[in-house]
This record gives sequence, C-alpha cells and structure tokens, in this order.
Amino acid sequence: MLPRRIYQFFIIYALGLALLLGIKYALNLSNYVIPGPAEIWTTAQEEYRRYFSDVMNTMSVAIVGQVLSICLAGFIGIVGRQTTWLGSFVKVAAYNVQAYPIVALAPIIFILLGDGFISRLLIAAMICYFPLLLSVLGIMSEPVQDIEHFYRVTGRMRWQLEVKIRAFENIGKLTTVVAGSATLAMAGTIVAEFIAANAGIGYSIRIALYQSDLGKILVALFLIGISLSVYQGLLEWLGAAIRKAWESQ
Amino acid sequence: MQPYRCLMKGWAAALILMAVVVLASPAARGAEQLTYRLKWLFNTSAVGDLYAVAHGDFADAGLDVTVKAGGPERDAIKELELGQAQFGVASADQVIRAMGKGSPVVVIAQLFQENPLQWIYRQSDPPIVQLADLRGRTIGITYGGNDETIMRTLLAKGGLTDRDVKLFSVRYDYTPFYQGKVDLWPVYRNTQGIVIGRKMAANGDPVQFFIPSDFGVKFVANSVVTSRQMAQERPDTVRRFIQALLKGWTAALDPNQSDMVLTMLQDYDKDTPRDELQAQLDVTRDLVQPQSGEPIGIIDTDAWMQTEEIMYNQKQIIKKVNVAGALMPGFAFGQ
Repeated sequence: MLPRRIYQFFIIYALGLALLLGIKYALNLSNYVIPGPAEIWTTAQEEYRRYFSDVMNTMSVAIVGQVLSICLAGFIGIVGRQTTWLGSFVKVAAYNVQAYPIVALAPIIFILLGDGFISRLLIAAMICYFPLLLSVLGIMSEPVQDIEHFYRVTGRMRWQLEVKIRAFENIGKLTTVVAGSATLAMAGTIVAEFIAANAGIGYSIRIALYQSDLGKILVALFLIGISLSVYQGLLEWLGAAIRKAWESQ
Repeated sequence: MQPYRCLMKGWAAALILMAVVVLASPAARGAEQLTYRLKWLFNTSAVGDLYAVAHGDFADAGLDVTVKAGGPERDAIKELELGQAQFGVASADQVIRAMGKGSPVVVIAQLFQENPLQWIYRQSDPPIVQLADLRGRTIGITYGGNDETIMRTLLAKGGLTDRDVKLFSVRYDYTPFYQGKVDLWPVYRNTQGIVIGRKMAANGDPVQFFIPSDFGVKFVANSVVTSRQMAQERPDTVRRFIQALLKGWTAALDPNQSDMVLTMLQDYDKDTPRDELQAQLDVTRDLVQPQSGEPIGIIDTDAWMQTEEIMYNQKQIIKKVNVAGALMPGFAFGQ
C-alpha cells in the first residue's frame, strides 16, 4: 500500500513537471517564468535539507490538528446524530462555522493568538474537520437496523453501543475519510503559515514567492507531496490493522 | 398598430446608440489594444497611470490601454513573457532577478525617484541620525522581501550584524508596532505611512521615518517595463505608450490639478478619505518628481547599478546582470 502510494506520487509529480517544462520550451519562456531542469536540480540540492525540516515542522502541526479535528468531528457527529433540538442545533452551529472562509478568519485568529503554534493548529483543525464531520454525521445518523433492532427490542440499547455498532459497520468508510483528511490538515497548516506564521513550509513558500522563485516552490511541492503520501499510506495501513483487529474480536 | 410602431422606434434608437458607442470606441478607431499590469492595487502610487486612462492620454496617442491592478501574487515581468501584458510596473529587484534568469525585460522609465519603502518609528524614540543608532532596536522586515535586502545592506554599511539588532518578521498586521513590540516598521511612505502616521498622531504618539537613501542606499522602486522584443519590433508603440503615460503622471502631480485628480482617485480608491488621499498625493509628488528638475520618469542609472550591486552582495543574484544594458530611456525622452 505504502510503496504504491509513493510511486503513484512520483508519476503524478513527474507528469506535472513534464507539463510545465513542455510549456516552457513550447513558449520559449525564460528560467524566471519556469525554471529549467538544471536549475530545479541545483535548487533541490541547495534547499532540500532546510525545506525537509520545514515540511516536518508543518506536518507535525497538521497531525496534531488532524487528531483534534477527528475528536471534534467525532464529538459533534455523535451529539448531532440525534434528531433532538440539541442535535439539530449542534449541526447548524457546525455548518455555520464552516461557512466563513478561513482566509477571512485567519487574520483575526493571528491577532488574538499570535503567529505561533496555536494559530497554525487551530486553522489546520478548522479546515480539516468539516469533511470529517459530514462523514461522521452521515454514518452516525444511519441506523444499522439488522443489529440495532435486536438491542432495542431487548431494551439493552445504550448510546455507547449504538455508536460502536455504527462505527464498526462503517469502519472502512471512516478510515478512508481519516486518511483523506490528512491532506486537508496539511493544506490548512500551509494556508495558515502562508498567511501569517513565521515557520513551516508555507512560510518558506511565501518567501520564495516574494522572490519569484518557482524552482524553490517546485522543490517544496515535491517534499510536501512525498511526505503526505508516506503519512497517508501509514494511516491506511493503520486503518487496515484496526479493521482486522475489530473483525477478529 | 401604435404599440408596434413605438416598439420599432425603440429598437431603432437602441441600434443607433449601440452603433455610436461601437464606432466611438478606441478599438473601432483602429487603436492598438494593450494591457498594462501595475505592481499593486489601484491607489495613490498609481495616480499617473490612472490619470492617463481617465484623461484620455492613451486614447490621444492611438492606444486602447487596459490598466490592470497588481497584487502580491502578480508579476508583470512574467506576464510580459507570457504575452498577457505588453507593459508593466516592476521594482528594480524584480527586474534584476528576472534578468539573472534570462528574462528579456527592459526598463523604459523610472516612476519613483525615491523608494517609498521606508521605516516608520515613533518621534518619542531616539532619532536615527547615523546607522549605528539602529543598534539594540527591534526592526520589522518582510523575510524574502526587498525591505529585508535594504535593511541588511544598511546594517552592513553601519558595521552592524544580526546580533546587534532584533529582526522581527512582519506581515499585514501592524499590531506589534502599535503595541511597541517593534521599534521600526517597514511601510510604503506615501500610502501606509500616511494612514499609520495619522492614527498614531491622533493617539498622541507622532511618528517619523527612517529613509534608506539618507544613508546612501538607493534601491530603485517602481519602474515601467516591457519586453525586449516589444522594444525592438514595435518601437513606435512603446514610444507612444510611455510618452502618454508620463504625460499622465506629469499632469496628475501638478498641484494646480489636485482637486480633479483627487476626485478621480476616489473613484478607484473608495475606502480612503479624501483628506488622506490629499496627504498621500503630496508625498507621492515628492517621491516621483526628480529633485534635479529633470522630467518625471527619468532613469537614475547610478541607482540601478547600486541596486544590482546590493543584490549581488546580498547573494540575491549569483552573477552580475549588467542592468545598465536593460535601461532604455530613449523611448520616453528621445535620447
């Protein structure tokens, strides 16, 4: 699973790069607009250590943000699954928070919380949590009639059991969504760094943009992509292991 | 029958009106269509560009020019190469960096004779009369921006290192400066400088400015650029464009026309009060008009060469690009 993700990423990156270079040579563009292969290679050699460290910095924030958003989405999904007034209120509140574009909220967050770790974490979690929430809400609102019926008629149904049944029956969907949300968590952290933080790969990309240095940006994109592929591969592996463990019980 | 006749008359009138509009448009009169990409949003720093459009200077020169606002992610030089614009505004560091990577860009006029990028600081702080006075201060810079290059040059010139000052990474939020966490904050003197200065003065905390050129660092700002191909293949268009543009700048900065210019500016910059625009216009005039009495748009070759030298010393470019070879004042001034 992991090796496949990595080589698939290499294919996608190579295709993207080939397209860019194709445009460069077809339109006879200078290295200022699109750098040539030699310049990209030189930039990679010069910057990969620093950029890799930046990507790890960003990824650490993204992972914590993702865990936070999983907890948040799980909590809201479980509360919001109910057809009660509170359930519907929680859903409306969650949807409304998501309606505000994060780039409009981010400056307020940075003014209130500064441009350090907490702001990046919060923005990563905010961007990542909504797709998770939709999936959790969808799964938790859908009764598994065949199994739940038995517990209901015997009077043994409790909310914890209901959540467990629905999670177990949809574990495949849940692990896929969690793995997918890693991309959003990473994107959220990079957006936060791009807007106002002073660390991470998003901040480095911003500096490269100031200098119109597409070579640096391409190197950064490669490192982001490869790191994310490895992380997602690991999440998928973890999901499969959890599924196997549950099924064997 | 009556309603039918009225309807026909209405259609006929509409067709005549459309024909008049179409025939009167610059395109219909055979005007050359051009795109001019600014460096930043429509504000006082682009007053002459906007005036040339509004006052019909381009149309008089047989040109149909679309002026497009710039922004942080816009790069006029790239657009020249991609054919999305024929003219643009770029700062010297952009031009030199682009030349270092083989971009065929040329400079046909220098709009700002004095770089508007300066540092604002409180009048209550000790004045900076020599570069050594920067020691111990917290100085805002945009990492990767040209203010970082300028400040590092100033520090080196003053015999100071990073350890002698505290560099603070700045973004769009001025709170750290208002709170006094940062002593010097980089601003565009003619726009942000006015807004922040007024706010601070209103709170009983007047400001002053630290001007790099006072300490011998002349880092060229906004200039008009085009591609070398355009300059070689369509010299007449380039000449008509730049002469119309500089005519617009000269008129826009004429103090006798201030009222009319401010009314025009308000159409583009609705969020800035008129009195603030007036103050911005006054400062812009000082930054754009050459002190030597030469015409607006003159290219300060020495300043360009110094800018290249600074960027080379700061390792912003890996080899010298001979920027003087890209300076073409002849289109504007017939030299």
